Amino acid sequence: MRIFENADFNLVEGRRRAYILSGVLLILSVGAIVTRGLELGIDFRGGMEFVVESNQFLEPTEIRTILTSTFETAPEVKTYSDVGAGGQNALLIRTVSEGETTEIQLSIVQAIVDAFPESNPRVIKTDVVGPRFAEDLKRGSLYAVLGSLLVIFLYVMLRFEWRFGLGAVAALFHDVLITLGIFSLLQGILPFSLQIDQAIIAAFLTIVGYSLNDTVVIFDRIREYTNLFKTEPYKIVVNRSVNTTLSRTFVTSGTTLLVVATLFTFGGEVLRGFSFALIIGIIIGTYSSIFVATPVVVELHNRSGSVNKAARR
Amino acid sequence: MQGNGFKVGAVVFFLALSAWYLFPSLQGLSLYDRLEDMEPEERVDYERENYARIETIKERSLNLGLDLQGGMHTTMEVGLRELLFQLAGDRRDDLFDQVLAAANMRSQEEGISLIDAFVEEFESRDPEASLSRYFRSEEITRRSSNTEVTDYLRAQVTDAIGRAMQVIRNRVDRYGVTEPSIQTQGNRRIVVELPGVDDPERVRRLLKGTARLEFRLMADPGELNSSLQRIINYYEVDIAAPADTMTEASEEEDDDVTEEADTSFDVSELLADTQDLEDVSNSLLDVLIPAGQGSVVFGEVSVQDTASFNALMADPEVQAMLPRDIELLYDANPSTTVGAEYYPVLAVNVNSELTGDVITDARSDFDQTTNQPLVDMEMNSEGARIWSRLTGANVGKNIAIVLDNVVYSYPTVIGQISGGRSQITGLESQEESDDIVTVLKSGALPAPVEIVEERTVGPSLGVVARQSGLTSLLVGLTIVALFMIFYYRAAGMVADLALIINIIFILGILAGFNATLTLPGIAGIVLTIGMAVDANVLIFERVREEQATGKTLKASVDGGYGKALSAIVDANITTFFVGIILYSFGIGPIQGFAVTLMAGILASLFSAIVFTRIIFDYVVIGRRGSVSFG
Repeated sequence: MRIFENADFNLVEGRRRAYILSGVLLILSVGAIVTRGLELGIDFRGGMEFVVESNQFLEPTEIRTILTSTFETAPEVKTYSDVGAGGQNALLIRTVSEGETTEIQLSIVQAIVDAFPESNPRVIKTDVVGPRFAEDLKRGSLYAVLGSLLVIFLYVMLRFEWRFGLGAVAALFHDVLITLGIFSLLQGILPFSLQIDQAIIAAFLTIVGYSLNDTVVIFDRIREYTNLFKTEPYKIVVNRSVNTTLSRTFVTSGTTLLVVATLFTFGGEVLRGFSFALIIGIIIGTYSSIFVATPVVVELHNRSGSVNKAARR
Repeated sequence: MQGNGFKVGAVVFFLALSAWYLFPSLQGLSLYDRLEDMEPEERVDYERENYARIETIKERSLNLGLDLQGGMHTTMEVGLRELLFQLAGDRRDDLFDQVLAAANMRSQEEGISLIDAFVEEFESRDPEASLSRYFRSEEITRRSSNTEVTDYLRAQVTDAIGRAMQVIRNRVDRYGVTEPSIQTQGNRRIVVELPGVDDPERVRRLLKGTARLEFRLMADPGELNSSLQRIINYYEVDIAAPADTMTEASEEEDDDVTEEADTSFDVSELLADTQDLEDVSNSLLDVLIPAGQGSVVFGEVSVQDTASFNALMADPEVQAMLPRDIELLYDANPSTTVGAEYYPVLAVNVNSELTGDVITDARSDFDQTTNQPLVDMEMNSEGARIWSRLTGANVGKNIAIVLDNVVYSYPTVIGQISGGRSQITGLESQEESDDIVTVLKSGALPAPVEIVEERTVGPSLGVVARQSGLTSLLVGLTIVALFMIFYYRAAGMVADLALIINIIFILGILAGFNATLTLPGIAGIVLTIGMAVDANVLIFERVREEQATGKTLKASVDGGYGKALSAIVDANITTFFVGIILYSFGIGPIQGFAVTLMAGILASLFSAIVFTRIIFDYVVIGRRGSVSFG
């Protein structure tokens, strides 16, 4: 079976429509990030998370009210689907309270027992991150993100010419910003946590790597075809490069999307936010390789005087 | 076909290597299955007979992360601030405290080492000043330069962390966990991983306990009583005298406190008085039930009120009203009156007469008469001498036995105790006495440690995580494999074979490098499955393009592999870089993800480029057969 055999879409000419789409998405994303913000997980904010399993169904909002009177701040309470009869009987409780883990844990269990004597609540998972440790994790993640972008930029610069480097990095910023924007827009709407934690940062860096992978394959073809079809206009060469790699682009994105969707479905609560970020990232990354990275190269090429005249139309 | 001998050799070699590293893990699986089926007694016997073999298998098996098998991960931080305090000892002054406080803040905000921040901060205030005035040791004299002092401090920090690790290892070993892992992280953190731990509260206590055992004198009951009245008056809103005259009064009275105590009115009377007057409120009496006269007890505070009581007592003016060198500590045991738990607050001398260093042996035991758990302690000769003098000089008075700033008991001395024996009583359970013995015997931590990160996964969740990981892996693999066959036909089957070999390689690399498989690690493998076929997709698409230009199958395969190579390498190197960076900055499970991602890239490059080529070459050239690329 083949898809896109002898594909001949005029993708380069259509880039202006893509600019509008990307522009709108970027504005929406930045707007969402600025107005709605991003919800940081306890990795970066510090705090405590407990998963409490019990013998009966506990209504999250009810538990939240009970715990709010125990603590001074309102904790976040959600169902946790991995255990306890498919999430019926397990809750994730997240609080920013500081203090001894043991005491907080005991007071949560005590408060639930007081309200529901039959429930036999037990804490089966705890995650505690101190504020200073959270600071360090935040700093580490920032360095990781900046470091990755720098290394990638340098590598693409070395292997390709500077226009490609800029095109690739532009696409990466595009992907990460829009994925963040979608996280910001959908937080609280989707039934699972979209908090930014270490795993999400790992997902973002994987998206960066993946999106680049896609871009590089197209760039590699452009480089090859520019040498092969020296007399043809640059735009046509680029368009042909994108079209001939289109089948590969879709097959690889497709298989990767399939496995990531598998992770999303079967991977459990821990991997849900992570695989969701990957799903979004892979879709955006594939789109940006064709409609952001490549057009940027074409634009830069058009504006640069040093290029061979025949390539400019 | 030339050079394929080498390629075949390489594939066989790596497969054999992976099999070698994975064999113990497979043995482990069948071993656990067999153990599951056995009767308990049979199992114990079997485990005893095959102890060495089972241990080897466990050691060489692929390590499962705590998220997959359940357990506790903690990151602990050694209190360097307290360490500097201790090192400076009596030499520290106000400037030292200020500089240290500023340095502590900077080191937290900027993530730099406390020692560096301390030295910089100190020198920025006075470039001429010498640090050696605060620290003295064999290497450090009055003439030591600041650089020498800095080196000394750094060495002390390294040493303290080394000792802390040793102490923690002793405690963990005594607690009894299979395959614990204790490692340093950065320059002041210790990471402890304890598989299978299901009692995190107890472990927390055990890890953090500095076990600073002290024997301290207690406040004079008369002096304490007059302090108590002054403090109650201070918090009296309506009937209290103005605060300034009261302070004056207390200064004057310093000399004849005992007399003052005798003439003072009884606190319980006062309490009764205030209860009669409804318009009078006393914020202290809201939370404290004051003790009667003639006691070393300050009062009793209910569990819920400890925080507000501490806040009230933290007022510097109130602190000044306490007898000289006396601080208030809680009793370890609440007294249960009218259904609620009240903690006695005891007035204890700030200076300790004797500390835990003199303890040579400790033993968990039970009281002969009350059957309460207790800890028996023996002291060395110096300790015994001081203990004897201390008890001899304080007959009729109380001595507080303080562990980590909590008073466990404060017996009244009946007579001089010689021989250096002592006991800690007032313990809740035998577990508690056992833990105190562990902590006393494993040595004291050089500085207090704080748990800055903790992640605990219960065993049931570990099983769930293992299942979801395995399901994702199998479903992902099946879907991709079917797609490849559907899309590329025979060539797709070759790619699928490469995919399976790829997974064997990844697991082999993990086992070989003794890496730990975590749930994000499994996610990395699943993701790799999707991306691993990419190399083959690139090649197959190229082969199709070559075929479309009318080339023979052999020429197309050659061309496909040749031309796709640069794209494959470029595309994978960048993801590999991301893996390296994630590994360097991430922790725990994220590192697990980074490791499998990198292993996956290496393995998939090898299996997709080398392995599939061998198959195609064999079929197309060797057998003159044909392969469909769909």
